[in-house]
Amino acid sequence: MPVTFIGVRHHSPACARLVAATIDELRPAYVLIEGPADLNERIGELLLGHELPVAVFSSYRDGERRHGSWAPFCAYSPEWVALTHGRAAGAELRFIDLPAWHPAFAGRSNRYADAELRYAEVMERLCRSFDVDNVDVLWDHLFEVAPADGSAERLAVYFDLVRGESAAGEADTAREAYMARWVRAAAAAAGDRPVVVVTGGFHRPALVSALALPAGDGAGGPAWPEVPALPAEAVGGSFLVPYSFRRLDAFDGYQSGMPSPGYYQELWESGPEAAARHLTESVAARLRERRQPVSTADLIAARTTAAGLATVRGHRHPARTDVLDGLASALVNEALDVALPWANRGTLRTGSHPVVVEMVAALSGTRVGRLHPATPAPPLVHHVNAELERLGLDGADELDLDLTVPADRARSQVLHRVRVLAVPGFRRDAGPSTGLDPVLRERWSMRPDPARLTAFIEAGAYGATLADACAAVLAERATQAGRDVDLLAGVLFDAALSGTAQVSEQALADIEATVAAAPELGALGRMLAVVLTMWRHDRILGTAHSATLGTVIVAAVRRVLWLAEGVHGQSAAADLGRIGALAACRDALRYARRQLGLDLPGALEVAARLAADGGAPPDLRGAAFGLRWALQQTSSPDPGASPANAADGQGEPALGAPAAAPSTDPPDPVRAVRGAFQPDSAGDWLAGLFALAREEVLHTPAVVGLLDELVSAMAADDFLIAVPALRQAFEFFPPREREQIAGRLLERRGLAGTGRSLLRGVGDPELVAAGMLLDDRVDAVLRREGLTGGTRD
Amino acid sequence: MSPTRRVSAAGPATPGPGSVVEVTEPADRVQRPPAEVRYADELARLREADTAARPPGWVLSVQAARRFVVGDSKLGISRKFVGDPSLIDRALITLATSRGLMLVGEPGTAKSLLSELLAAAVSGDSTLTIQGGAATTEDQIRYSWNYALLVADGPSPRSLVPAPLLRGMAEGRTVRFEEITRCPLEVQDCLLSPLSDRVLAIPELTGPEAMVFARDGFSIIATANTRDRGVNDMSSALKRRFNFETVFPIADLATELALVEAEAAALLRRSGVTAEPRRDVLEVLVTTFRELRTGETARGDSMDRLSAVMSTAEAVSVAHAVGLRGWFLRGEPGTAEDLVSCLAGTAAKDNPEDLAKLRRYLAQQVTWRGGEQWQALHNARHLLPG
Repeated sequence: MPVTFIGVRHHSPACARLVAATIDELRPAYVLIEGPADLNERIGELLLGHELPVAVFSSYRDGERRHGSWAPFCAYSPEWVALTHGRAAGAELRFIDLPAWHPAFAGRSNRYADAELRYAEVMERLCRSFDVDNVDVLWDHLFEVAPADGSAERLAVYFDLVRGESAAGEADTAREAYMARWVRAAAAAAGDRPVVVVTGGFHRPALVSALALPAGDGAGGPAWPEVPALPAEAVGGSFLVPYSFRRLDAFDGYQSGMPSPGYYQELWESGPEAAARHLTESVAARLRERRQPVSTADLIAARTTAAGLATVRGHRHPARTDVLDGLASALVNEALDVALPWANRGTLRTGSHPVVVEMVAALSGTRVGRLHPATPAPPLVHHVNAELERLGLDGADELDLDLTVPADRARSQVLHRVRVLAVPGFRRDAGPSTGLDPVLRERWSMRPDPARLTAFIEAGAYGATLADACAAVLAERATQAGRDVDLLAGVLFDAALSGTAQVSEQALADIEATVAAAPELGALGRMLAVVLTMWRHDRILGTAHSATLGTVIVAAVRRVLWLAEGVHGQSAAADLGRIGALAACRDALRYARRQLGLDLPGALEVAARLAADGGAPPDLRGAAFGLRWALQQTSSPDPGASPANAADGQGEPALGAPAAAPSTDPPDPVRAVRGAFQPDSAGDWLAGLFALAREEVLHTPAVVGLLDELVSAMAADDFLIAVPALRQAFEFFPPREREQIAGRLLERRGLAGTGRSLLRGVGDPELVAAGMLLDDRVDAVLRREGLTGGTRD
Repeated sequence: MSPTRRVSAAGPATPGPGSVVEVTEPADRVQRPPAEVRYADELARLREADTAARPPGWVLSVQAARRFVVGDSKLGISRKFVGDPSLIDRALITLATSRGLMLVGEPGTAKSLLSELLAAAVSGDSTLTIQGGAATTEDQIRYSWNYALLVADGPSPRSLVPAPLLRGMAEGRTVRFEEITRCPLEVQDCLLSPLSDRVLAIPELTGPEAMVFARDGFSIIATANTRDRGVNDMSSALKRRFNFETVFPIADLATELALVEAEAAALLRRSGVTAEPRRDVLEVLVTTFRELRTGETARGDSMDRLSAVMSTAEAVSVAHAVGLRGWFLRGEPGTAEDLVSCLAGTAAKDNPEDLAKLRRYLAQQVTWRGGEQWQALHNARHLLPG
């Protein structure tokens, strides 16, 4: 029973070539392939004649766990070659690995990630002893550009070395035990005809030694192992979806396989020399297309360097990194901000040099797969059609939905999910556009579109149900948001509209990262205000107290406080955006502190430092002071205190007695106002204060009196300078409260009349200005003539 | 640059309990011999074992030169540069082609050390060095005259005083140009024709001596630090003649920590401190340096970078200072409090804004980590001046 084991690296052209040659030569009875055994019945589907890359997408959902993973195939995947050549040689084809839903794959989204990379320390030692940057370089060096003869032995030695130094994890052991049973069964069934086993190289040593063991004739006998059935309460399945090189290249960290599919496709088709040439050409073409200068001299230099590097590194033809290094040497004429991405494995980082960006794009390739028309459609298509039909959304129609009615709400959610998947033919004409507006109706128009089916098939790669696919797309968008908080806010709102409450941990981490890197206070504040409102009240969209939004709030409060302390510029005018950010922060601390465990003492400390920082802009200092005042004074928040909780009806946890008073002294508003009252900045400072502590100001007569005193004491010129900013500051009081203040001023001076009449203002400001000018002139004349006696009031 | 043997002779006469350690001078009395002297035996071993073809004019093959820098345990060659080996490959290949090699990067990333090592490996000599500066003139780069002879004999090869560039070309050796962007633009440009035409004209002479043609083995390694970008940028003509290699700070925490620990411990021993630096304090120190340098914390918050240089070399000197403080003030290893005091001197060197950034970092970005030393660092934030 001759069994030939080929340990491969997934997506390696060199391994694919070896697999092809071995199968063609041996013409085995069985070809066993690392892949989901539950797909064995349907291997024919894979061989229908698709345009590669395609992937087997597997989904799984039970009470506790939901999981989606892909097994991507491209033309040069050893597994794919095993399928096609095995079929051509007339062999029986079998996938022999556990199904993707099996707990052994928990947390993994790429079946064909390289197992050995999970044992990073070994690989690092190996790279160190070869003095290369990383595993990919080492792999190219040992296999991809090395001559093909003897590659089987080299592969075996390589993987024995890797495996010999690391104990496999529990999940890998379980899979290997299962695969070994298949091998044993196939060996028995084949008799003396050959069997070829194609698995990840990391597993090969274990399988070889498992076969060498005397089979326990009873239990582990040569019967074909049964395929584990889905647990009764779970739903899931595997199906074919179109895939793309871009997604193949986007796996990161332990999930990643071989990078640069565009390059390896070329290597597979036409060999290392042509691949190197093609890479240089496509980089040059891309750069020239973007009007980056690439001279002939540069190309000669790149070529020379690549050839030189290849010689030094012992390659007959330039390998991937030889070409890349050559191009980088010749084309990058300045200091880089970020290290070359092929030196340290990983996806492209922001700040990469434009030349490098184009190089990586050329490596990635743009190929997109397409399924053969006869392929059974992914379950998403059936699921969506059933859903749309169930809710009566499948025809051409105009809809007017009332979001407060549960049935309409359900239809709206489905429509939003379809919209998130970018399926043509569904348009929302009106409806809520942010989390703050009280719009409760939505209007949709729907019409049939020929591209609809294609869009659903493509979206099928994201999940088996509408909700899963929508969540996956939103997670991808959250990842792509980068540092753009507005984009992120859009994603969160879409998530709310489509009823996507659960997001993956990865997506949550990405969202946190976006917030943690947000560069601007204003945008962050706007988002925090919206998210906080959604978190606190949104019963309609069902986002109240959602864990995702809670995470966003925690991260945003932290970031607002951090950014606020970094703003400098004493003379900067009031910026409503950053004042709003601190106000949102105040609301978060006031209403969500207990539940989300926000750090109030820390925030108060930041506010105290900020309020006292002479280098900070006045509006921010005022706002910081207001933040302290509002949070320390308020012992039980008045439900009408802030506009944000107008709709609140559920009795938020009160702040209670000021908890754990920070080490700073309690704020003294009178002193602070007096200290901050400089003519050119008073208005800005007050704008910050009023925005954050409007209630407190209103209920502290001493402060109102002091303001009156200070404003009255201003010289006319100073007053003119201060008045626009003061006016802006008092805008923060709604008319009724302004009236209260006015009334109090009249009272203070012992004058009769109502606040309203005082506020009514004057008809013609020009007339007033002319009058004031006249007054000033009279004063000047009087002074000149020595006639000033009493005061001017 | 790696820390040199400079010893700050601070501290009282009786440094705490235990033995009193005298600061002794090395026997050869040279503070820092050039690389080819320091590693003479390694170079000799490499030359002996070197069978590969050598580029014309080189004393070692490319492979052997590479081993000299990245190390080779079989031949007992130490690893002298921590970084991607591919950088060394590219640098060496560049030197073998007709372009110059430009090493750029933040200060303190060992660019000069790397240039010295490369020159020692390629030419066996790293001393043909031009130090760039605002006052550097063409005379110091190309050649000048012995004026007594010039007046007596007129211009002749005898009265010519060759500077590093002329010597490098005539003798086929590697010329190092340190801090090239600190030179005025027009002075930099005198490298143009040596780099492209490989010839240097001496118009004062006549006959065949008026042109010096570069011999095999001539190449230029320039260094520039990115903080000087904009002080004197390079002309694009000159940029085209150089291949740029960016040298990055050490990418990985463990490697940097190990390096700082080793170097700081050595410096402390030399300063007479018998207490080993505490690893947890060093870890806090190195992490702080890395985060302030990259402007990103371990959990992903982005911050403003400090304008001060937070290089590994600075980390070593701060670790040294921390150890000295702890030992000579209290007779124990340095603590997080010492670290805060020393950081103020490094980070706020010339810039109150950096001090503010540092204060903000210590106040807001430190406590979430947990860990005793981080907490101590946070609590000691009031020790920052101002």
